[in-house]
Amino acid sequence: MIKRSRTVAITILGAAAFTLAGCQEEQVDAAAFPDLQSCTNAAQDGGIFTAQDCDAAFAEAAALHVEAAPRYDSIAVCEEQHGQGACGSEATATNGGSGSIFMPLMMGYLIGNMLGGRGGASASQPLYKTANGKYTNAAGSSTFSNNSGSAKLGTSQFARPAATVGKPPMSRATAMSRGGFGSAGAGRTGMGG
Amino acid sequence: MKKISLPERPQWRDHAQEVGFTFADMHGEPYWDETSAYAFSLSQIEQDIEDPSTELHSMCREAAAHITASEELMDRLAIPQTHRDLVAQSWRKGEPEIYGRFDLAYDGTGPAKLLEYNADTPTSLYETASFQWQWLEDQMAAGTLAPDSDQFNGLHEALVTRFAALFAPETDLHFTAAANTPEDYATVEAMAWAAREAGLGAHYCDLEKLAVSDEGQFLDDQDRVIGTLFKLYPWEDLLRDEYAAHIAPSGCLFLEPAWKAVLSNKGLLPVLWQMFEGHPNLLPAFFEADIKDAISGHGPAAPHVAKAFDRAAAQLAAGHVTKPILSREGASITIHQHGQVIESSTNTAYSQHPRIIQAYTSLPQHDGFRPVIGSWIVGQTCAGMGVREDRSRITQDLSRFKPHFITP
Repeated sequence: MIKRSRTVAITILGAAAFTLAGCQEEQVDAAAFPDLQSCTNAAQDGGIFTAQDCDAAFAEAAALHVEAAPRYDSIAVCEEQHGQGACGSEATATNGGSGSIFMPLMMGYLIGNMLGGRGGASASQPLYKTANGKYTNAAGSSTFSNNSGSAKLGTSQFARPAATVGKPPMSRATAMSRGGFGSAGAGRTGMGG
Repeated sequence: MKKISLPERPQWRDHAQEVGFTFADMHGEPYWDETSAYAFSLSQIEQDIEDPSTELHSMCREAAAHITASEELMDRLAIPQTHRDLVAQSWRKGEPEIYGRFDLAYDGTGPAKLLEYNADTPTSLYETASFQWQWLEDQMAAGTLAPDSDQFNGLHEALVTRFAALFAPETDLHFTAAANTPEDYATVEAMAWAAREAGLGAHYCDLEKLAVSDEGQFLDDQDRVIGTLFKLYPWEDLLRDEYAAHIAPSGCLFLEPAWKAVLSNKGLLPVLWQMFEGHPNLLPAFFEADIKDAISGHGPAAPHVAKAFDRAAAQLAAGHVTKPILSREGASITIHQHGQVIESSTNTAYSQHPRIIQAYTSLPQHDGFRPVIGSWIVGQTCAGMGVREDRSRITQDLSRFKPHFITP
């Protein structure tokens, strides 16, 4: 039996290699709709989604909305993030919700052409308004200029947002501090051996 | 095991440039040196290096279980008190290991002896897995080596298999190393190539650019949440950095896992000797504090090791080595033979740490150089080998990497 690898093709390209070779994201056909009706209308005109797709995606986005919409402890803070009149209490959005927790109203949904779901990715996402009149998803990881239209989008746009505290890998988050690793080993020419 | 002079590949320096192997010469000396190579027989590789290394790793896993369950041993290994739970939890949860490198003394006959285990941040992965592999292919193609020569080097394939077994396809992994450390970076990128070939996403961020989010998760330099982090930065430093307290609550899976802190520590060696005294691949080893008086004839050894010390006393008197429990590239190591210091490293960076004493075994000499075998573990199995040699008895940062081959 041969004791070595069949092929090894490694070149040390530098950090840029990671972005070039590492994360070519798969693109999927996607569309945004302000509501279920406009999706169904588009389906009747022969779009890339069927009326059934519209129903399933809308139901999924609505469920994600309840599960993962950003929560705020006052309507003022919520409107600061999402704009005047774009927020409501959790109690109005979902049965058993709290009257003193506030969340943005769902302003439409994003639907991706991969129904059936792959790799845990949800095929639809609720959309919310941002303070500057654009639209964003539940994780706040992407912004869109409009809540209707179609485009090619990376599959990560459909990653399931975290239901609880703590965001899923690769989603964007706010840095509280930076640079807290490296000082114990500082001054050495290498960290390995 | 023989050292054989061979013609160098005429264009190898150009090839090194092309593939980004920028440290083939270092400190004005060759680091990659193919003017000669080490030849092994298949039985030397399989019976003396490969199988014993796999067995040593399994013994190390037993030692990890033992140490992480003992407050006293964690203390002797200088695991900071506040992070002992993190280390013990990582073992109990079965967090997976990716790789490690044993340094072995071996002269071609008899059992190889374990010098230490680089279980946390071994480097030279690139030159072992890739550049050495290419050297063999080129030399066989050129007719310098017989076409049915081989090399103990399944490292890259084993890493691909390991990553694929541990992570679902398209899982995103982050890789980090300290900025401006080309040797460390080469090991990290070689690792990332394997992850990518296993169908995973690989992302790089300099160690110093890592951030903590307002929710306590680690972020890369683009503010993306890190789910799994391969770090070429030792646990003994991670646990002493400002962000140490964020590690446990972050939910991030670290590779190597925190329990490697108890293996990549010379304190492992006396623990192994206590658990497996007399094992053919181990050298007698003790914590210096337990036998300091006994070895200098000023008093008894600590009671719990007194009998074991008596059994090893003659061997230790003939020659022994003192090593700080945390040290790399041979720093702060002293070799004693018959009461005399015969060699001592010039780098004393780790001299403030507690020490262990290990029986001395001399490395073989070839043309004034002393080779050390690096046997690589991937997952829990030995998957390849690299040889470094140094003029000194202590393998330090001027050591040279030597290619090897298996004779048909």
